[in-house]
Amino acid sequence: MDTDFEPKIVGFLCNWCSYAGADMAGTSRVRYPANIRIIRVPCSGRVDPLYVLKAFQEGADGVLVAGCHPGDCHYGDGNYHARRRYALMHRFLDFVGIDAGRLRIDWVSAAEGNRFAQVVAELTDEVRRLGPWQGLGNGRASTAQEAAQREVTAALEGRDR
Amino acid sequence: MSGEIEIEIQNGIRVRAQKLLSLGEVGCIIGYERGPRGQMRPMFVYDEAGVERLVWDRTCHHNLVVYVRDKVEAQGGGRAGGAPPPRVAIVARPCDVRALNVLIHEGQLAREQVFVLGIACPGMLDGDKVMAHCRRCKERVPVFYDALLGEPPAIEAEDDDWQDVAEIEALSAGERLAFWAQEFERCIRCYACRQACPGCYCFECLAEQVDPGWIGIAHRVPEKAFFHIMRAFHLAGRCVECHACEQACPMHIPLSLLNRKMAREVQELFGYTAGGDADVPPPLATFRRDEELPL
Repeated sequence: MDTDFEPKIVGFLCNWCSYAGADMAGTSRVRYPANIRIIRVPCSGRVDPLYVLKAFQEGADGVLVAGCHPGDCHYGDGNYHARRRYALMHRFLDFVGIDAGRLRIDWVSAAEGNRFAQVVAELTDEVRRLGPWQGLGNGRASTAQEAAQREVTAALEGRDR
Repeated sequence: MSGEIEIEIQNGIRVRAQKLLSLGEVGCIIGYERGPRGQMRPMFVYDEAGVERLVWDRTCHHNLVVYVRDKVEAQGGGRAGGAPPPRVAIVARPCDVRALNVLIHEGQLAREQVFVLGIACPGMLDGDKVMAHCRRCKERVPVFYDALLGEPPAIEAEDDDWQDVAEIEALSAGERLAFWAQEFERCIRCYACRQACPGCYCFECLAEQVDPGWIGIAHRVPEKAFFHIMRAFHLAGRCVECHACEQACPMHIPLSLLNRKMAREVQELFGYTAGGDADVPPPLATFRRDEELPL
């Protein structure tokens, strides 16, 4: 593994809970990895999957989407929508080759400074373990993998449409 | 055998079309005609003289639902709301009718605005073989119609073993990335998949949006991958698996694999099948407070 690798992580934090939670971590002097770049959004429901994919396309190694705990959304139900969207997106991104571990959805309240630090630390560790993100469409397989891929492609070409 | 069914359906379309136009019940019929090179293509009939050009066989792959909104508007039918009389008739297979349901649910169309010439579908052909997704299809009669053409065929649906999806899932993340890179590499960004899709009706697609420009115009794999992944996501819980996108793709990108994966996850997480009922909201337009979802 590349020991010099410092993951770049983009964090979409909702203004009302998670951003305040990050603030709480700061004012409480809780240490957490500096790998996260925070983007403040009005609500986790505002985080279009487009933003997450764009972050990956632009080279983020990991993405965090954090909002109010279910039931606590400032707008009533934004995080319920986000929950459905990202439950699905998680599985789908994995299918197209973006490790499920690179995306984390979590709920952090304004009082949970420690929890925020813990979420960021866990995600950073996981992404560090997964290694640098190759970039969308930049997947290059090893020779053995290429052979495996040729088989899959052949099988697909042989299948009926 | 197969030919008889096709002729029966074709005659049914002509008889109904003739009647609808002569009675003035509809102003336009969306159907199929045979093109100059023998292939089936969409056709719009506005008067009785055109009726005899209407044809149907099992190679009519286009999903005609893509034309419905435009034709309804051209006939003076407003957007959904109110209850204008049927103004446009459309030849539709069961999967096409589910696409109509998606549009109706999304307020793009009112049920009363279309007269559905529903096909009792024997499955579509690719060459001389029935297409794989048609062999798996359990829905031989549309969920709604105004006239049913042909007899509901007694065909036992093949079990769906999801082998095609499972083969990709069995790869490592890096291999999957490489697999899709190789598939998307061929994309020429013609957007035929989007144009052929009844679910892709946005007036401005994110692919053409310039401010902010989400996708660059470069002919590179990342841009292509971005488009296809986002398109699949926009169709989550909305794709009716008519395979019009894959049929339209000149580069033979296995787009239905993306949509099938999505459809299966939607089914597994939310127990939902797209277009089955216009009154049931698609999974990403609703939620349950008490649900437990794996995140």
